[in-house]
Amino acid sequence: MSQSDQAHSTRAGLEVGTKRLVFAYIVSATAWLVVGTAYGLIAAIKLYWPEAMEYSVLSFGRTRPIHTNVVLLGWSSMALMGVALYVISRSSKTSLYRPGFARAGLILWNICMVLTVITLSVGLTRGPQEYREILTPIMVLYAIGLLCNFYTAYQTIARRKVPEVYVSNWYIMGAFCWLATIVVIGYLPFYQNGMGNIVIQGYFMHNAVGMWFTPMVLGITYYALPRMLGKPIYSYALGVLAFWTAILFYTLIGAHHFIFSPVAWWIQTTAILFSVGMMVPVWAGFGNFFLTARGSWSRVRRDYAIIFLLVGVWGYALSSTQGTIEAFRSANIYWHFTNFTVGHSHLAMYGFVAFCIWGFVYGLIPKITGRGPSQAAIGFHFWLAFLGGSLYVVSISIAGILQGTSWVAGESFIASVDAAAPMWLWRSIGGFMMVFSHIVFLVNLWAMRPLPVPPASEMVEATA
Amino acid sequence: MSLHTQHNQLIGIAALLFLILSLVIAVLPAFEAERTPPLSGIEQLSDEAKRGRVLYLEEGCGYCHTQFVRDLPVDKPYGRGSVPGDYALEVPPLLGTQRTGPDLANVGVRQPSEIWNLIHLYNPRAVVGTSVMPSYPWFFDTKAAADEGDIVVPVPEAFKPDGQAVIAKQEAMDIVRYLQSLKQAEVE
Repeated sequence: MSQSDQAHSTRAGLEVGTKRLVFAYIVSATAWLVVGTAYGLIAAIKLYWPEAMEYSVLSFGRTRPIHTNVVLLGWSSMALMGVALYVISRSSKTSLYRPGFARAGLILWNICMVLTVITLSVGLTRGPQEYREILTPIMVLYAIGLLCNFYTAYQTIARRKVPEVYVSNWYIMGAFCWLATIVVIGYLPFYQNGMGNIVIQGYFMHNAVGMWFTPMVLGITYYALPRMLGKPIYSYALGVLAFWTAILFYTLIGAHHFIFSPVAWWIQTTAILFSVGMMVPVWAGFGNFFLTARGSWSRVRRDYAIIFLLVGVWGYALSSTQGTIEAFRSANIYWHFTNFTVGHSHLAMYGFVAFCIWGFVYGLIPKITGRGPSQAAIGFHFWLAFLGGSLYVVSISIAGILQGTSWVAGESFIASVDAAAPMWLWRSIGGFMMVFSHIVFLVNLWAMRPLPVPPASEMVEATA
Repeated sequence: MSLHTQHNQLIGIAALLFLILSLVIAVLPAFEAERTPPLSGIEQLSDEAKRGRVLYLEEGCGYCHTQFVRDLPVDKPYGRGSVPGDYALEVPPLLGTQRTGPDLANVGVRQPSEIWNLIHLYNPRAVVGTSVMPSYPWFFDTKAAADEGDIVVPVPEAFKPDGQAVIAKQEAMDIVRYLQSLKQAEVE
């Protein structure tokens, strides 16, 4: 970034270079969102029309991991890292320190995404270990990109112009450190055979979600929600409590993905117990956001950005509580192995994470670029995504319940497929609406793009 | 002094706490679990079956098929409850988290037929009418007449190209050999 860029801050206090960087992250993420959910739709269609698109690179076993990895890494992670850079800079009241590192991280991650899609398409995979499919060399590149971002984030916070580290930055810095730890532990070659691998797999798949996406979203929400509502957070202390209890309770519950498995019984029981404990940070966080929004309903009603964010906050409470219930052994008998899990993961990654990200983007980006789409255009995105996502989650959850009921009744296996099949059609219709809403989002995003750098005369005026 | 103003101590404690908990709940138990000896009845995979297992990974079969039987009445059709010794030799083990299709931990006992497996792999709907499993036609050749030594798959007429013979490629045989090898060993 040139000196002249840095000198001219906008009304929101972000330099042109930072604005562009944040925007570039979000545009990349949204492009991957469209790609990733298109793959999801292809996989969904195949479950009731198996002969469709019968090519090896598009077979169900290939498209499913491409869908999950692209939406997790390309969409959610990149979007959150971009918004986090904004929040870090604003809440630290200083410009980003050496943003070139964050820019390098963005380029590296985009290269990695392309490599991920290519390798998984041709079957180059570490096997169906959820979210650990990506080959080790590519994952090393991802990790380097992550550390590049963390460098910019951490050094910016270290040079903050305010005495306190705002609670958002606790969560964001924590998330970077935790994800780096999770990736190293997940990919170290020492315990990759037999049950050692499974112990790590439970830890990895669970914490990659719970100690990366969740704290990133929550941290940004602690900044975005008060800013969008124009009032302080209900309780700062509650945010701090949720931070420490999340580390304590969340870290230990990965094995609840392998209940009744040969994983040591004490690990499973610990996971179930702490899944209940997890309700402490969840409801502390949800309650805090909910109480912050209380009394502002007249404002909420008129602003789809806040509606997106509050739906996301509800998605957090619902998906987390659902996760706790699923961990109980009695519930696990009915729900484990069924599509109910798929409904749960979409409630979490879509109803919570994606909706919050849209709230951040619609609520914060127009503040720095000075322009944005109309409420009608945002509303169109909202209702498509909300109705499509709801149809998806409800239909696939019913499919899961039908599967589980069929198995417990002792019917032949194909009876559970026949029972779920109509729901798979509904799920695809919901999925189609979701993908369509993402294209609407891409168009809306374009309406928020930063203007080209203004001529020098205007800049002088703005600074004066 | 307060953590609220000391970013390095704040993040240091948060990272260290997470690392310690990770070591306790994941890393140390993983090293411990890895030392489980395999069941003595487990047979080494043949070369064909080994290649079949690689194809099983590449095609993502494990996203829909578990190899993990819980010791519960609902899982009785699939065999006995899985034990750590079942997986000791597997890299990676294929327990799985979804059963869009049935469990395969003991499928070599339940469905040993080579012909059934080949037809099923070519087009699952040829043997299970409402199956949603993908077909794998790329593991087969079709030609007007089979040559000597070809493995001709007796696919029902409605499911194969008119007047063509369906021939299993080596890959199809490898996968079938792998599926036939999936037999739960005796727990001693």
